[in-house]
Amino acid sequence: MRKLWSTFNLPTKISVFWVSLVFFFVLTGSFLPLPNPTEYDPDASGVGLFSAGHLLGTDINGYDLLSNVINGARISILIALVSVGIGGLIGSAIGIGSAYVRGKVDLAVNLFFNILLSIPNLVLGLALVAILATSVDPAIPIDPNRRVFIIIFSLTVVIIPILGRIARGATLSWVNREFIVAARSMGMKDRHIIFKHIVPNVLPAIYAVIFLAIGVVIVAEGALSLLGVGIIDGVSWGAMIGRVAGDFTYAPQSMYVPVIVLALTVIAFNQIGDHLRTQLDSREGKI
Amino acid sequence: MGNKLGWIANVLKRIVPLLLVIFGSTLIVSLLLQLLPVGLKDLYVAPGDPASMKQQLKSLGLDGNAFTFYFHWLNDFVHGNFGYIIFPGGGREPVSNRLATALPISLRLVVYVQIVALLVSVPLGIFTAYRAGRRSDRAISYSLFAAASVPNFVFGLLLAIFVGVKLGWLPPLGYVSPSEGIVEHIKTMILPVLSLAIPTIATYSRLLRSDVIATLREDYVTMAASKGLSNRRILFTHVLRPSSTTLFTSAALNMGALIGGTLVIEQIFSIPGLGSEIGIAIFSRQFFALQSYIALIAVGYVLFNGIIDVILGFVDPRTRERRNA
Repeated sequence: MRKLWSTFNLPTKISVFWVSLVFFFVLTGSFLPLPNPTEYDPDASGVGLFSAGHLLGTDINGYDLLSNVINGARISILIALVSVGIGGLIGSAIGIGSAYVRGKVDLAVNLFFNILLSIPNLVLGLALVAILATSVDPAIPIDPNRRVFIIIFSLTVVIIPILGRIARGATLSWVNREFIVAARSMGMKDRHIIFKHIVPNVLPAIYAVIFLAIGVVIVAEGALSLLGVGIIDGVSWGAMIGRVAGDFTYAPQSMYVPVIVLALTVIAFNQIGDHLRTQLDSREGKI
Repeated sequence: MGNKLGWIANVLKRIVPLLLVIFGSTLIVSLLLQLLPVGLKDLYVAPGDPASMKQQLKSLGLDGNAFTFYFHWLNDFVHGNFGYIIFPGGGREPVSNRLATALPISLRLVVYVQIVALLVSVPLGIFTAYRAGRRSDRAISYSLFAAASVPNFVFGLLLAIFVGVKLGWLPPLGYVSPSEGIVEHIKTMILPVLSLAIPTIATYSRLLRSDVIATLREDYVTMAASKGLSNRRILFTHVLRPSSTTLFTSAALNMGALIGGTLVIEQIFSIPGLGSEIGIAIFSRQFFALQSYIALIAVGYVLFNGIIDVILGFVDPRTRERRNA
C-alpha cells in the first residue's frame, strides 16, 4: 500500500484526497449539522455564495446547496458503486469465462458485447430508464425509490459490456502463457486455473477501468436528469442539476455548485484510473 | 484470379459481422418495448368494434409475439417507414416527418464538432508531442486530461450561463437554420459546438500526442532529421500521416460519446434536433417513435464505424495487409 502511494504524483494525490472527501460525506452526510436538504428556507431563496447560514447559497426555492451537494453524494455515489460493482462482476465473469473456453461461446459473447456497445452508452441507458420507468397511469409518477432502482439496473446493463470486453481481452492475453498451459497439462481443474492463475492477472486491468467506469456512471446520472428521466424529487447531484436545468438565470449558483462538484469528482476518478493504468502498462512492459 | 475471390471474401468478412450487430441491436431495442410496464396495445389501440381493433393491431404489428413485432418493424424500417406517432384521438403522424427536420440539425451539430475538434487537436497534439516533457507540454497535458474528463453538459451549462446569460455575447438557447440567416445560425451554434468540442479536442489531442511521441522515435524520423529536413516538414509530412490513422479511428469511436452528448446538449440549448425529439417521444409516451430513433442511432453508429474502417484500410496500407494476412 505504501509502495502504491509512493508512485502517486501530485494530481493523483489530490484526486485520492478529493475522492476520500466525497466518500467521507457519503458516510457522514446525514449526521453533519447542515440544514435539511429537502426543506426550504423561506427567508433565503436564491441567496449567493457565503450567505449567513448558507455557505454555498440556496437555489431559487430556498434549498441549501451545500447540504444538497453533500447529501446528494450519497445517492450519486451509491448508484455509481452499485452499478459498476454488479455490472463489473457480471461483465468480468462473462468475459473471463468466454475467453477461457474460446470457440463458439466466445464468438457469441463477443457478438453480444459488440451489439450492446453499438448503442452509445448514454442512449442505451436513456432507453432502458425511459421504458422501465414508465408509469402505468400518466397522472401518477412512479415511486422515487423505484426510479433509483431502475437507474441502477439500467446503468448496470450499460457497464456489463464495457468491463466484459476489457476482461475478455485481458484473459485472452494470458490464457496461452506457458504457466497456464503447464497447469492444464498437470491436470489442474479449470475452476482452479481460472481463480488461481487467470483472475489475479486480469484483476489489475479491471481495477484501472473500474475507476473510469465510475466516472461514466456519475456522468450518466447527471445526463439522465438533464434528459428528464433521472432522479427529480430526490437528493442527488443529478437531481440538483435536473431541477435547475430549465431556469438557472435567477440563481446561477444552484447550477454551477452541483456541476462543478460532479466534474471534480469525475476528474478525480479518471485521474486515479489513468494512473493505475500507466502503472499497469509499465508492469506489463517489464514482463 | 485468387485475388478477386480474396477481395470478395474480405468484404464479406467485414460486412457479415456488421449486419449481425445491426440485426442484434435493432432486435434488442425492439425487445425493450416488451419491458414496458404498460402494454403497447393498451397505449395505442383505440377501443372499438373487434374488426377495427384487429385491423389496428395488424397495422401496428402487434397481432403476434415479440419477434413478429420486430420483423414487422424491421420490414417497415428497411423500406424507410419509421413508424407513427399516434395521437390520443387516433390520428397519426409518420415519424419520418419529424426525422426530416430533426436529423439534419443533429447531424450538422455533430459534423461541426468533429471539424472544430480535428482542426484544433491536430496542431495541439503535435505541439505537445514535440515539446513532450517540457513545462508547456505538462501544463497543456494536465489541462487536457481534466477537460477530457469533464462531461460535455458541464461545459454546456457553464457556457450558457457565463457567455450566454452573464456576458450576453451569444444566445444562450434556440436554433436558427442556415437558410434563415447564416450569421444567426453560426451564433446559435457556437456554444453547443464548443461544449461538445472541448472534451473531444482534449481526447483527440491526447491520443495524437502519445502517437506522435511514438512515431518520433522511429528510425526514419531520425533519418529525415539527419538529412536536414526542417522540423515543420518532418512533423507535418512524415509524422502526421502515420499518426492520422489513430486519430480517425478514435474520431470514429468517439462518435458514440458524441451522439449521447448531442442529445443532452440539445436539451440544454433547446435545439430541435433528434435529442429533443427523443425527449418529446419519452414525455408523450410515443414508444414506436422512440424505438425507431434509437435503432437509427445504433445503425448509423455501426455503419459509420464500418465505413471509417474501410477508408482507413485504403489510407494505411499496413492495416490493409494485416487484414489480408
